[in-house]
Amino acid sequence: MASIQAAKKSLSLAPTVRTLPSGVPAAPLLNLAARAPADHHAHGHGAAGPRADVPPQWAGGVSRSFGLSSKTLLTAPTTTAFQHRLIHTSAVAKDAPQVPDFGPYRAKDTNSNRALSYFMVGTMGVLSASVAKSSVSEFLQTMAASADVLALAKVEVDLTSIPEGKNVIIKWRGKPVFIRHRTQSEIEEARSADWKTFRDPQSDEQRTKKPEWLVMLGVCTHLGCVPIGEAGDYGGWFCPCHGSHYDISGRARKGPAPLNLEVPAHEFNDADGKLVIG
Amino acid sequence: MPLSATIYNTIFKRNSIYVATVFSAAFAFGISFDAGVQSFWDKWNQGKQWKDIRDKYVQDAEE
Repeated sequence: MASIQAAKKSLSLAPTVRTLPSGVPAAPLLNLAARAPADHHAHGHGAAGPRADVPPQWAGGVSRSFGLSSKTLLTAPTTTAFQHRLIHTSAVAKDAPQVPDFGPYRAKDTNSNRALSYFMVGTMGVLSASVAKSSVSEFLQTMAASADVLALAKVEVDLTSIPEGKNVIIKWRGKPVFIRHRTQSEIEEARSADWKTFRDPQSDEQRTKKPEWLVMLGVCTHLGCVPIGEAGDYGGWFCPCHGSHYDISGRARKGPAPLNLEVPAHEFNDADGKLVIG
Repeated sequence: MPLSATIYNTIFKRNSIYVATVFSAAFAFGISFDAGVQSFWDKWNQGKQWKDIRDKYVQDAEE
């Protein structure tokens, strides 16, 4: 008996011999229907053979079809061990919570609150709009010429030193500028001319800020020569290069010049008797 | 009708009017803010700026 029992003695093998590439432990030759080992001290309790508490096939179980897998098809009953806790320290929850009366805090008239809210929103809009506007305009002002550059680009002429009926030529931004102190007869001549029939129709009032002072760029509008003063058929300027005649208001009257002599931006400083060109 | 309801009905009720009011108010605010800061500056620096002391020097030069 003992020798037979020794041959039947079961071995304790490691259940997992190797692992499949999928990570599932592989247990070849695992006998899931193995009998429980014979127990000589069992005194007859529990029959030798398949376990009595093995779940039936329809309820799931262990299979070796794709590796070792276990499947349970039944919904396990939840653990129900509920009982009322009769002793605890948390506050008692009342069925109907008591809501306080907010009546004294409510606004009597909602109109003023509404108007104030909209007013605050609008004020915010006003402030942000002016901030946006001023930042844009400040940024654009950084691109403008600075005051020192503008000051260099200006020329100041003392008008008291120019007698009536005389021309003065000064240099402004690299170009000659004619300044003529016109006599009264010259003003009348310039104003009485029928300027609408001219090549570049411009009245004398448009070209001068003060009738006795004529300020023009001394560059012929034809090809850029410098005209000669007090010459030409009209008593004004004459360009020696191609024979353009300008009248006493600097308007092109004869010859190839297409436009009148250009009038630069200029201002009179009456207090100091000066002319600022630029 | 209280004043607040009147203001609400005239300005805030219609969004186009609201936005137009905001922008025109921003325009007016910008101008008035600049003018206010300018006048404050002039008051604070009274007697120090060229336009305040110009009379002394220009008269001297002419005499």
